[in-house]
Amino acid sequence: MKKTVDVSIPLGPMHPCWKEPVRIKCETAGERVLRAEVELGYMKKGIERIMRGRPWQEVMFLAERVCGICSVIHNMVFIEAMEEISDITVPPRAAYLRVIANELDRMASHILANFSYCYTIEHETLAMYLLNTRETVLDNLERLTGSRINTAYMIPGGVRFDLLPEDATAMLVDLMKVEEEMKRHTRIFETGPLIALRSKGIGYMSREDAIRAHTVGPTARASGVEDCDLRLRHPTYRALGFTQITRTEGDNFARVMVRFQEVFQSIDLIRKCIETLPDGPIRGGGFCKAGETSYAGEAPRGELTYAIKTDDYGRVIDIAIRTPSVMNIEACAHEMIKDASSIADVTSTFISSDPCIACNER
Amino acid sequence: MKYLYEKDLRQMKYNILTSTRHDETVHAIAERLGMGEAKLRRTILRRFDMSLLENLESRWQMGQEHADNGDAVAEELGCELFTRFIPLLDTETMQTIYSETTAMTQEIPFEEAIARGRERIREAVLS
Repeated sequence: MKKTVDVSIPLGPMHPCWKEPVRIKCETAGERVLRAEVELGYMKKGIERIMRGRPWQEVMFLAERVCGICSVIHNMVFIEAMEEISDITVPPRAAYLRVIANELDRMASHILANFSYCYTIEHETLAMYLLNTRETVLDNLERLTGSRINTAYMIPGGVRFDLLPEDATAMLVDLMKVEEEMKRHTRIFETGPLIALRSKGIGYMSREDAIRAHTVGPTARASGVEDCDLRLRHPTYRALGFTQITRTEGDNFARVMVRFQEVFQSIDLIRKCIETLPDGPIRGGGFCKAGETSYAGEAPRGELTYAIKTDDYGRVIDIAIRTPSVMNIEACAHEMIKDASSIADVTSTFISSDPCIACNER
Repeated sequence: MKYLYEKDLRQMKYNILTSTRHDETVHAIAERLGMGEAKLRRTILRRFDMSLLENLESRWQMGQEHADNGDAVAEELGCELFTRFIPLLDTETMQTIYSETTAMTQEIPFEEAIARGRERIREAVLS
């Protein structure tokens, strides 16, 4: 890239604020960041290539290993894509249980993202509070699926485990505790004067820029992009009366607040699922067939797309995964960080977009 | 000055650009601009960073939906598409090409003016 200034500040690949290795090269004039360039390639897995030619039974485990933070949705989108190819229907009870697992995963992901942001702006107290609350959420994911991270909960035609009545009661009690704690954390974040100094008006991205870069998830919703939550089109979520949360500020504060608000929304969705959980089987059965589809679902960070082609034996012939971080990291580097008034805001802005390098380098 | 930690990213960038979806996107852009895929690929590798390469497909998709609505000349040339959605040209250069092409449409047939405008775009992309 042609140099336009004399000072180039590299951040990373190993940086105290980054969860994963990535290098951002900032070209600056004084404190002002003129442009930023992202260097990837420090943890490339080549997972799409590993998936090709393997049966779906193996690919489903590989899919959730694309990302450890949002593994449930990778599992869900892959399985729902296979179901679409093979015309497999899911029993209503299993569909509701899928939503519970997915929303618990979303809560864990959003709380971790907000933890990272608070840690980056040096509000370690709130960061640690959030991490503590996240443990309760992961405990409940373990209660439902038997595992905290790579759950492999969903299978074509249903889910692997049912939710027992005593577990449902325990989950509701825990959700009440999580809700109380999250209300307190949100209040700390909303009213903190130093947090506002580091967050309000920082890393601004307009609605037009967000659309142009195809940003998705909370990053897009914080910039006022309407109708960008794929849960609006998912039949189970529609039955639960899901509505999208949108803010218009477009700054770091809005992105973190959207995630806080979505945690409360997830709690409500799980409650509704448990209260209206239909009776019946949790597995419908079916065979995976040959076909081709492009299926998208709403991951915690936004739209996750799996384009899959299978053969008669249920083997994955070709697969392309488009993760939300592909769009969000690019938008962050070229829209939010560009023209930042201080180099100190680069790390916080980058973290506010909830970047997942594992997803980006699948 | 070349720093020790500066890596040669060309191979990794090339790998991103030759994946199934990106390959289709490069093919579509090359067809729209009327230029060879290899030349376009080389230009993209030189100008775009890795995250922009990864996001090329999504930006192209959004560009198809939202760019240059309403103005026939801008739509044919891809004024917004090739500056703001896929930044192959800077806005000043594109503005000059657009103004000249709009002026040309008064003197010569529309198709011919657009063809000349596209030729200028190709030259600017490869320069």
